[in-house]
Amino acid sequence: MRIRTITLLLAWLAAPLVSAQADRLETPAQPSSRAAQAVLTDIARLPQRLVAVGEQGTVLLSDSQGDDWRQAQVPVSVLLTAVSFVDDQYGWAVGHDGVVLHSSDGGTSWQRQLTGDRINQLRVEQLQQALAELENADSPDEEQLERLQYALDDAELAREDGPSVPLLDVWFQDRNTGFVIGGYGLILKTTDSGQSWQSLDHRLPNPDRFHLNSLLADSRGRLWIAGEAGLLLRSDDLGERWQAVDSPYEGSWFAMAEQQGLYLLGLRGHLFHSEDGEDWQPVELAQRATLNGAIRQDGGLWLVGQGGLLLERTADGFVSRKAPVRRSFSAGVASGEQLILVGEGGVSRVAMAAREGAK
Amino acid sequence: MSGIGSNLLAPIRASEQLIERLLFNSRGLVLALFTLLTVWLLVQASQIRPDASFVKMIPTQHPYVANFLDYRDDLSGLGNSIRVVVAATDGDIFDADYQQTLKQVTDELFFIPGVDRSALKSIWTPNVRWTEVTEEGFVGGPVIPAEYDGSAESLEQVRINILRSGQVGRLVANDFRSAMIQVPLFDKHPETGEKLNYQQFSAQVEKLVRDKYQRDGIRIHITGFAKIVGDLIDGAVQVAIFFAIALGVTLVLLFLYSGSVTGTLIPLACSLVAVIWQLGLLKTLGYGLDPYSMLVPFLVFAIGVSHGVQIVNTISLEAGQGADKLTAAQRAFRAIYIPGLTALLSDGIGFVTLMVIQIQVIQDLAVAAALGVAVIILTNLLLLPLLMSYAGVGRRAIERARRSASQPHSRWQLLTVFARPAGAWSAVAVAGLFVLIGLYASQDLKIGDLDAGAPELRADSRYNQDNAFITANYSTSSDVFVVMVATGKEQCSRFETLTLVDRFQQYLTNVSGVQSSLSLADVSERVTAGLNEGNLKWRSISRNQYVINASLSYVPAGLMNSSCSLLPVILFLDDHKAETLQRVTEAVGSFADRHNSDNIQFLMAAGNAGFEAATNEVIGTAQYEMLLWVYGVVSLLCLATFRSLRTVICIIVPLALTSLLCQALMARLGIGVKVATLPVIALGVGIGVDYGIYIYSKLSTYLVQGYALPRAYLETLRTTGKSVAFTGMTLAIGVVLWIFSPIAFQADMGILLTFMFLWNMLGALILLPALACLLLPKEVRVSSKEVSDAVQ
Repeated sequence: MRIRTITLLLAWLAAPLVSAQADRLETPAQPSSRAAQAVLTDIARLPQRLVAVGEQGTVLLSDSQGDDWRQAQVPVSVLLTAVSFVDDQYGWAVGHDGVVLHSSDGGTSWQRQLTGDRINQLRVEQLQQALAELENADSPDEEQLERLQYALDDAELAREDGPSVPLLDVWFQDRNTGFVIGGYGLILKTTDSGQSWQSLDHRLPNPDRFHLNSLLADSRGRLWIAGEAGLLLRSDDLGERWQAVDSPYEGSWFAMAEQQGLYLLGLRGHLFHSEDGEDWQPVELAQRATLNGAIRQDGGLWLVGQGGLLLERTADGFVSRKAPVRRSFSAGVASGEQLILVGEGGVSRVAMAAREGAK
Repeated sequence: MSGIGSNLLAPIRASEQLIERLLFNSRGLVLALFTLLTVWLLVQASQIRPDASFVKMIPTQHPYVANFLDYRDDLSGLGNSIRVVVAATDGDIFDADYQQTLKQVTDELFFIPGVDRSALKSIWTPNVRWTEVTEEGFVGGPVIPAEYDGSAESLEQVRINILRSGQVGRLVANDFRSAMIQVPLFDKHPETGEKLNYQQFSAQVEKLVRDKYQRDGIRIHITGFAKIVGDLIDGAVQVAIFFAIALGVTLVLLFLYSGSVTGTLIPLACSLVAVIWQLGLLKTLGYGLDPYSMLVPFLVFAIGVSHGVQIVNTISLEAGQGADKLTAAQRAFRAIYIPGLTALLSDGIGFVTLMVIQIQVIQDLAVAAALGVAVIILTNLLLLPLLMSYAGVGRRAIERARRSASQPHSRWQLLTVFARPAGAWSAVAVAGLFVLIGLYASQDLKIGDLDAGAPELRADSRYNQDNAFITANYSTSSDVFVVMVATGKEQCSRFETLTLVDRFQQYLTNVSGVQSSLSLADVSERVTAGLNEGNLKWRSISRNQYVINASLSYVPAGLMNSSCSLLPVILFLDDHKAETLQRVTEAVGSFADRHNSDNIQFLMAAGNAGFEAATNEVIGTAQYEMLLWVYGVVSLLCLATFRSLRTVICIIVPLALTSLLCQALMARLGIGVKVATLPVIALGVGIGVDYGIYIYSKLSTYLVQGYALPRAYLETLRTTGKSVAFTGMTLAIGVVLWIFSPIAFQADMGILLTFMFLWNMLGALILLPALACLLLPKEVRVSSKEVSDAVQ
């Protein structure tokens, strides 16, 4: 809290010096002739199209399985961190400064649905409301009351701090219902295609407000959130109630994947597997680079990570594939016969089938 | 001397009589005075030192350079460093012997005076570390582990540490077959305040590193500005050998030409005296000898010899007509003084027009050359006839002069065809064709340097090979353009500043020729991601100033200044071609126009490419300005001398044709208009006009005597043609050897000056009479008679 106060003071001191320069939340993404080599964080596969997102509001579209890319019109220029499409039209992308973008034309154009300022405001309003409801109840739970009051104080401070919290992942069930999650325990839900949002922060068993890194809906209809410092949460009722799951590891998780069971991907090559999500078994890997994302296709599974890491699941376990670049990968999709990877160096393509000496 | 303007040249004529009296009435005294001065200036000249200053080679008045100079101290961490690469030729760097050598070279460099030891970097220095994110946070250590012992295991550890240090492409080659030591230098030593002596430093690096450690299996590559300067000075010193060769060749030619020992040695000696005076005066005035002005002594010598030849030639003619030594010298002085002075003045003024170019090396060159010409007036127009009045030309030369004067048929007869209408028309037609060719070919003329690497040195020089090696094996370009982003104090790391810089860098990805860029914004983004477990999704500038400040707790040298009011954005370019630089400056300029405010300014430019951009802009405008000045001044001078526009056209058109063809030649040879080649045209025109002046003044004498043009021209050729041709030869010999200079721009100057001197000579011998034939009206004889009356 003290940190925020100091920052606030600094911001206030600096305020008269702020130029008329437009904020990155108000500035449309700039076209770049080298956008396909920019830092890209996530990629989504639509029936006929690939959509990748990344630094400074970059959204890239390819209708040729990655042969060529063009830049979409985006109203913000913040680092975008995740993208999710429910069909060939409807999709959402999230990013820093609490940005949620929506596209209803397959990624060609994007509208801003939410920013950090609005999120901060929502949190305060909804906590105030929840607090009021609780206080008006016949026998308010004192402990619950205190928790909400604390959360409200925190939200009010965050509101003064400005839209500084990034969103880190997005998942939509259908055109109406979806979730966004982010740093410092931020989570919001919508049931009307993003017209209105509900803050769920205070419903999560995450007292330390760890970052929420990855959201997964498994085949049994359960929602999973994997986050900082071994945080692992599960909801069996589409996000209404959340419970903490015993984590097999204290380091951070960066992604989850389902392919013949669930996988948890973490810091320094920590990989765990579970058939049912209850009992987690470590999967030994030959190297210790952080795992950032997974690609699944027709029963196959690939993992990507720091320093150009690309692993393929085989009968003999996960084996390392030679990656085209040594720079970190953040995510990937399978498209046709190839894997399209995104990361520090932009888009990279790798043949799906492992061949000797394949590049 | 008919045809010479009566009013303007009156003072010159008056001075002629005065000086002639002074000179020839007290020969002993004047000679003693000359001797004393020569001895004193010789002592001075012997102390002159080679000198190459970076700032002198760039246009300091240009806003880019002015901006750089404003922030020079803040930018000191940038640029002035050398890079030493130790390459394993038969294996890779994971070899105990290799690592031992790398360690020794690192230590060796550490102790060379002038090195900023705290910032010296190699995988063997403790400031180069690997880091890794673990569950507990960052861990890290030096790349060479403390327990390193050269064993296979510890070499494997080194390999792992290098991979996680992120130094591949920076301190370690992409192919792991070489490693780099980055050696930042102090411009001024912080303790002693002594300025870095580049030549000495460069020599020490050669001796202590390359000579000592290069062997079978190990190659050393060295690049950096200090090394360029060192190599330049070393190369320039080799030019002294060319001077000796030029001297020898001139001596032989002069003897063949004059047939007289005194007529050979005295002009040569006087020209050498001119060189001594020129160098001595330069030293006295506080100048050094930079690689550009190093060429002036050659010119001074050649010009001196060519004027000396005119005098010796005239003395021989006079002596051939029976005059004694003193009278012959005195008459020759009288005959040569005015055209000689005019020609030398036009040379000098031609050089002085170079002063309009705001680049100090060019201005220094102008001063040195103008000084040299002024000195020639004293040594070759005054001292030379004086010495000849003692020595005489010798009987053989007199015999020869007499013989050739009485020879009715001459080889020169051939050339008179151009003084008749048919020949004149064909000469002009050919010239017209050349104009078209010249115009067509010179379209490709480029501004700036066109080759990769250090353009001052030859493409196949060791420096440029070293540079090419580094460019090929490391991920850094040697063409660096720095945009300085200026803010208020303590504002350089503000969120608004960094996001705008971030956007600026993204904007630059659209500029073709910009490979990549680097700034404080990149550091902040990377460290912010690092603070969040290396997660790419956090690689952004935080809106939280506290996080930004934390991300900038360690900033590599040169990415911000100590008061946080300046953050350089370093652009790595594909090359330094003029178009590339222009694209970059236009793009940066347009971004700056849109975003500069009271709080933040995007200022160009530092870095070698930045200075080159400034130089190109200055040269681009100066080249026309300079042409205008040099032609304007030379034309005016000719007009004042001959008082006829037509005459001016006769003299100037051949020069202009040569200038045009010179540009076409530059375009063909891929030589750009640059600091080194810009002065060439001024020098070429300034010196080239001499031919025209000598020929025309003689020609008009014969026209006045009533000869028809072809006859008058033949007489002109018989008397001065030989010396004009000889002048062209001596000038060309003086400069042609520069073609072999190890310094690329000296070679370019050599090619172009040789071309200009020879073509100007041909132009004066062929095109001048042709133009005269077509332009001068019949009544020219009458009008020139009037003028000659006025003169006499």
